[in-house]
Amino acid sequence: MKRTYIIAVLLLLSKSLSVQAADVVNGKKVVDLNCVACHQTGVMGAPKIGDTAQWTKRTEKGLTQLTKNAIDGIKSMPAKGGNSLLSDQDIKDSIAYFLSAANVKTESASQKTKDSPISSAKSTKEITPQKKKAVPQKASVASTPSKKPIKTVKSGAMKFNRLMKPPSEWNPAPFEDGIHDPDGEGAYTLQAPKEAFSQLNKASSGNRVDWMKSLDNKKIMPRYDRLDETKKPFVMDLNIVREVKGSMPDVVYPHKQHTEWLDCSNCHPDIFIPKKGANQISMASILMGEKCGVCHGKVAFPVSDCRKCHSKKKKTPFVASKNN
Amino acid sequence: MKKNNVLLAPFRTICLFICLVITLGLISPKVVHAEYGDVVINNYSEEAGMRPVVFPHWFHRIRFRCKVCHADLGFKFEAGGNKIDMLKIIDGEYCGACHNGEVAWSVENCNLCHSGKPGTTTQVHGSTVQQLVSPEKDKQNK
Ligand code: HEC
Ligand code: HEC
Ligand code: HEC
Ligand code: HEC
Ligand code: HEC
Ligand code: HEC
Ligand code: HEC
Repeated sequence: MKRTYIIAVLLLLSKSLSVQAADVVNGKKVVDLNCVACHQTGVMGAPKIGDTAQWTKRTEKGLTQLTKNAIDGIKSMPAKGGNSLLSDQDIKDSIAYFLSAANVKTESASQKTKDSPISSAKSTKEITPQKKKAVPQKASVASTPSKKPIKTVKSGAMKFNRLMKPPSEWNPAPFEDGIHDPDGEGAYTLQAPKEAFSQLNKASSGNRVDWMKSLDNKKIMPRYDRLDETKKPFVMDLNIVREVKGSMPDVVYPHKQHTEWLDCSNCHPDIFIPKKGANQISMASILMGEKCGVCHGKVAFPVSDCRKCHSKKKKTPFVASKNN
Repeated sequence: MKKNNVLLAPFRTICLFICLVITLGLISPKVVHAEYGDVVINNYSEEAGMRPVVFPHWFHRIRFRCKVCHADLGFKFEAGGNKIDMLKIIDGEYCGACHNGEVAWSVENCNLCHSGKPGTTTQVHGSTVQQLVSPEKDKQNK
C-alpha cells in the first residue's frame, strides 16, 4: 500500500516537474507573441515581466484564481490577452513563465497540476463561447491570422519561410512593427492598420489593400483639397501603351487612375516628359525607385504586382526560339 | 577549379546565412516589418533628444489624395528630403498645415509623431529595395 502510494506521489511529482519544464518554454513563446506589449512596459498597471514584488502580490490570491483572471480577463487585462485562439494551457504556461521570470516560488505550481484537469475542462467549456464576443474586435482582428503559422513554424534555422514575410507579419500593429518605440506612449495610441483595413478591398501585396477598388467603391473618400471636402479631382482618361520586348505583356499606363490621386505636376515634367514614347523606362530603373518606381514599390502598389502594369496582350505572340 | 567552386558555393551561402542570423539575432530580436509606406524621418529628431518621427502613408491616404501633400503643400517625394523642423511646423508648413488644431490634432501631442524607435534611420519602409533579398538590406534595416 505504502509503496504504491509513494510511487503515485513520485509519479505525480515527476509529471508535474516535466510539465513545469515544458510549461515555461511554451509560456515564453506565448508571452513573447501575445503579452509583451503590455506586460513588458507595464501599461495600464499590468504586472511587469521579471518584477518579483508585483508577481508575488498577484499570486497571493492563488494560482487558480490568477489563471482564471487571465483567461476571463480582469479590468484592463483582456481575456486571454486579447487572443481567443490561445488554449487554457497556453495561458497556464504563460503564467508559469511570468512567475519563473520574476523568481516567484512556484510551490503552488505543483498544486496547479492537481486541480488543473478539472478546472481547465470546466473553464474551456464555459468560457470559450462567451469569450469570442467579449474580445475587443481590434485585438481579435490583429491576432487571428498571426496565430497558426507562428505556432507551427519553428524559429531560427528551421523556419519555413526563411526570407519571405509570412502572413502573420503583414500589417503589424504599431507597437510590434519594429520602427515604433514600444516603450513610448505613441505606439499604443496610434491606430493599428488592420483595424482600418478590415473594411477595405483586399490585395495581395503592399498594404494588402486595393486602394483603387476601395476608392471606386467609395469605401474611402480621401479629400482632394486640404479643407474643402467637396472639391473633385480633375480626372483625365488617357491610356499610354508601352510595347515591351520579350514575353511580358505590354504595359498600359492609365492617366485615369493616376489623376484620381495625383496632380499633373507630380509627374510632369520632373519624372516624365509629357510626350508618348519620349521617356526611357526599364524594369531596372523601376526597381531602383525611378520612373514608375518613384511611387510603385514605395507607396502605390508594389512592383511584384506585374500584371497590373503588364496588362495588354501582345498583338504578335512571342516565340522564344525565334531570336536565338 | 570547377570542383572548388562547387564546394565553395554552399559554404559561402552558409556563411552568409550565419552572418545574417547573427546580425538579426544580436541587433534586433524582432525584425523590422513595418507597414508598407511608413516613412521614418530622423534628420534632426534624435540629435535633439526626441524619438524619430514616423509618418504613416496608409493612414493619411484614407483621408487625403496624394495631391494635397505632394502638390499643394509641396512635400517632395523623398524620405527626409523636405528638411522639416518644428519651427516650420508651428508656422503652418508641412505637417503643420493640418496638425494645427483645425484640420487635425495640434502639435502638443509630441509622442504621436515622435513615436519611432531610437536609432531608426530616415527611410520609407516596405520599399522594393528593402524587399530585394540581399545581405545589405538587413544592415540597412538593422
Ligand atoms: C492589452 C494589454 C494586456 C495584454 C495584451 C495582456 N495583459 Fe495581462 N494584464 C494586463 C493588465 C492591465 C493587468 C492588470 C489588471 C488589473 O488591474 O488587475 C494584467 C494582469 C494580468 C495577470 C494577473 C491577473 C491577476 O489576477 O492579478 C495575468 C496572470 C496576466 N495579465 C496574464 C496575461 C497573459 C498570459 C497574457 C498573454 C496571453 C496577457 N496577460 C496579455 C494587460 C494585458
Ligand atoms: C493634409 C493634412 C495633413 C498633413 C499635411 C499631415 N497630417 Fe497627420 N493627420 C491628418 C489627419 C486629418 C489626421 C487624423 C486626426 C484625428 O485623428 O483627429 C492625422 C493623424 C496623424 C497621425 C496619427 C495616426 C493615428 O494612428 O491616429 C500621425 C502620427 C500623423 N498624423 C503624423 C503626421 C506627420 C508626421 C506629418 C508631417 C510629416 C503629418 N501627419 C502631416 C492630416 C495631416
Ligand atoms: C503618375 C504620373 C503621371 C501623372 C500624374 C500625369 N501623367 Fe501624363 N504621362 C505620364 C506618362 C508615364 C506618360 C507617357 C510618357 C511616355 O510614353 O514616355 C504621360 C504622357 C502624357 C502626355 C503625352 C500624351 C501623348 O500622346 O503624347 C500628355 C499630354 C500628358 N501626359 C498630360 C498629362 C496631364 C494633363 C496630366 C494631369 C491631368 C497628367 N499627364 C498627369 C505620367 C503621368
Ligand atoms: C507619382 C506616383 C506614381 C507614379 C510615378 C506612377 N504611379 Fe501608378 N499609381 C500611383 C497611385 C497612387 C496609384 C493608385 C493605386 C495604388 O496606390 O496602389 C497608381 C495606380 C496605377 C495603376 C492602376 C492600378 C489599378 O488597380 O487600377 C496602374 C496600371 C499604374 N499605376 C501603372 C503605372 C505605370 C506603368 C507607371 C509608370 C509609367 C506608374 N504607374 C507611375 C502612383 C504612381
Ligand atoms: C509599375 C508598373 C510595372 C510593374 C508593376 C511591372 N512592370 Fe515591367 N515594365 C514596366 C514598364 C513601364 C516597362 C518599360 C516598357 C517600355 O519599354 O516602354 C517594363 C518593362 C519590363 C520588361 C522588359 C525589359 C525591361 O527591363 O524593360 C520586363 C521583362 C518586365 N517589365 C518584367 C516585369 C516583371 C517580371 C514584373 C513583376 C515582378 C514587372 N515587370 C512589373 C512597368 C511595370
Ligand atoms: C505633426 C507631427 C509632429 C508633432 C506633433 C511634433 N513634431 Fe517635432 N518634428 C516633426 C517632424 C516631421 C520633424 C522633423 C524630423 C527630423 O527630420 O528628424 C520634427 C522635429 C523635431 C525636433 C528636431 C528639429 C527641431 O525643430 O528642432 C524637435 C526637437 C522636435 N521635433 C520636438 C517636438 C516637440 C517637443 C513636440 C511637442 C511639443 C513635437 N516635436 C511635436 C513632427 C512633429
Ligand atoms: C498627409 C500628407 C501626405 C499624403 C496624403 C501623401 N504623402 Fe507621400 N509623403 C508624405 C511625407 C511627409 C513624406 C516624407 C517626406 C519627408 O520625409 O520629407 C512622403 C514621402 C513620399 C514618397 C517618398 C518615399 C521615398 O523616400 O522614396 C513617395 C513616393 C510618396 N510620398 C508617395 C505618395 C503617394 C503615391 C501618395 C498618395 C497615394 C502620397 N504619398 C500621399 C506625405 C504625404
